[in-house]
Amino acid sequence: MVEEKKKSEPQSTLVDKIVVPGDVVLDLSKLSNQTIKLGDGLRQDRDSITVMKSGKLRFSKPNKYWVESSQKRYVPCVDDTVLGIVLDSKADNFLVDIKGPAVAFLPVLAFEGGTRRNIPKFEPGSLIYVRVVKANMGMNPELSCTDVNGKAAEFGALKDGYMFETSTGLSRTLLSTSTCPVLEALGKKLSFEIAVGLNGRVWVNAEAPSTVILVANALLKSEPLTAVQQRIMVESLLQRVQ
Amino acid sequence: MEQRLANTWKMTNNEKKFIETSLLSDLRVDGRTSFQYRGLNIKFGREDGSSEVQLGQTHVMGFVTSQLVQPYRDRPNEGTLSIFTEFSPMADPSFEAGRPGEFAIELGRIIDRGLRESRAVDTESLCVLAGKLVWAIRIDLHILDNGGNLVDAANIAALAALMTFRRPECTLGGEDGQELIVHPPEVKEPLPLIIHHLPIAVTFGIFGDGNILVIDPSHTEEVVMRGRITATLNATGDICSIQKVGEGLMQSSIMQCLRIAKGKADDITTKLRSVVEAHCTERAARKIKRHPSSVAVDVSRTDTVVKDKPTQKGGEFSVDKPDESCSHDCNGTGSETARRGETVKASVGAPSSWDPYSKGVDANSLKTSLAVPGRSTPSKEQIESIVDEVMYEEPISNIGSVDSKPNEAAQSPRQLSSEAKTLKDAVKPKNKRKKKTPS
Repeated sequence: MVEEKKKSEPQSTLVDKIVVPGDVVLDLSKLSNQTIKLGDGLRQDRDSITVMKSGKLRFSKPNKYWVESSQKRYVPCVDDTVLGIVLDSKADNFLVDIKGPAVAFLPVLAFEGGTRRNIPKFEPGSLIYVRVVKANMGMNPELSCTDVNGKAAEFGALKDGYMFETSTGLSRTLLSTSTCPVLEALGKKLSFEIAVGLNGRVWVNAEAPSTVILVANALLKSEPLTAVQQRIMVESLLQRVQ
Repeated sequence: MEQRLANTWKMTNNEKKFIETSLLSDLRVDGRTSFQYRGLNIKFGREDGSSEVQLGQTHVMGFVTSQLVQPYRDRPNEGTLSIFTEFSPMADPSFEAGRPGEFAIELGRIIDRGLRESRAVDTESLCVLAGKLVWAIRIDLHILDNGGNLVDAANIAALAALMTFRRPECTLGGEDGQELIVHPPEVKEPLPLIIHHLPIAVTFGIFGDGNILVIDPSHTEEVVMRGRITATLNATGDICSIQKVGEGLMQSSIMQCLRIAKGKADDITTKLRSVVEAHCTERAARKIKRHPSSVAVDVSRTDTVVKDKPTQKGGEFSVDKPDESCSHDCNGTGSETARRGETVKASVGAPSSWDPYSKGVDANSLKTSLAVPGRSTPSKEQIESIVDEVMYEEPISNIGSVDSKPNEAAQSPRQLSSEAKTLKDAVKPKNKRKKKTPS
């Protein structure tokens, strides 16, 4: 994130609206002494903040701005939780695919109580739930299987279940704090486990394979639907199965 | 090596295991039943012989082109049919640009076998001059997105493109009667290919120990499946080819496959035929619309002549012209309808009767002439009166200036007929005369 010296209350009129590349979000000369933080898809061009990709402009108090969009590729970002696929294991690192432009490294010591002695074993093709700790330009992103306090927290390998790929936008809505209507509706009737990575990968597990398939298809279909439509869709799906 | 790892599509062990275990209880990850095909969507391009097929996520584009070539020595009076596949790296990261992979060749071969060796396309009708010139038909298949089961999608794309393809008509002419004339589409309606039957490929994935069969496997299922069997058959139930890869199959399973494939082939054939028919009707309708623009031009041209010199000669000329071009057009559209199916005939038939009238008439007078049933063929006086009407309206509508460009375009096909040429010659001296008289 880029930090900027600014004046006056930073509030853009475009917040929560659709923006396209070239849109000027803020005029710095009109702001009085304030700091704002720029996130994904925004750029400072002298005195103006312009948009670099199309999406929704988001603002978080007190001073964070970013553009949210839905895409198939994932751009690694520090502190994102993602689902990765182990490609290979080297002496120091596991090579992990996180749908980004480059392969990510997961150091063999980045586990709770990780030492040279007890290195976990991941065969190529295993699915792991990890956290991005470094995402610098021109470097392979670095992952970790621990939370900030060095605890294993839910990170690690995911066993069984089914993984499918969606857009980054859908995975973000699934993770939003006000529970996504489709998940809420499904959760009332079915019991299942779900892990959502910000890179657009979703893992679902349940007792019966039919439940997994139903949940996976409901989630995949829900992306373009409104909250009411999502509930109706889930209802009809559940009726068809029972 | 790192970059190559990043560019290959990978699948987790979890997915592989899940797909296999759920298939054991007869469940598929996309919610289909074992013998349920994905949604099929067929579209056509603006040009003849181009098609776009979507089968679920799979997306294939087909193009058919033709070229005059020398035939093979052993088959002097047969045209050729060849299939080329192009796997775009855009469709799947594992496809490499340029070099056709193993699967690209296999796909081309399966479709080629189904189409060519079952003699679906009549190659003998593609002969122009025995031993000298035949039409070479080339089918290009572009894979735009790989969602699994490329063979079926590519096969349907090839058929759809072949069914809508039109090759230019060619005749022998010239001084010695040996010169080949290829008529551009504006002059003579291009000919469709003769397709005897439609070989439809239906693919099954083989899972487990060869006891689980699944129709139309998706790309995730293709990674897991042990083998694949593709049966190509037509609506009458003739088996054109069978291709089996991998795991062995019981004879009973193969028979079951063929039974199911027959049903699917029927469905796809009806769908394909209805879509192609709709496209042909639309195409015919598009053709007809083109006429009025070229017609309006003639009106303005004759009118200006009439206006400048409303002599006996000028009047006569303006009457003659619509008559002449009328017969001309009737012939053209008539043969066109004869070549198409009956359904098309009906839609073309009606406009062809009114089409010539628009020659000397504007839209309003055309409506009145259509409203009166008795006026099926305009007499000389009627046309004269119509021409007069148009003449008075002409300055307001100002057709002449607007249509100056299409005018030339419309003339080019007419120039080919000798009669039109003489008429055109007749115009010129008048224009000269017109210039002379003021001076």
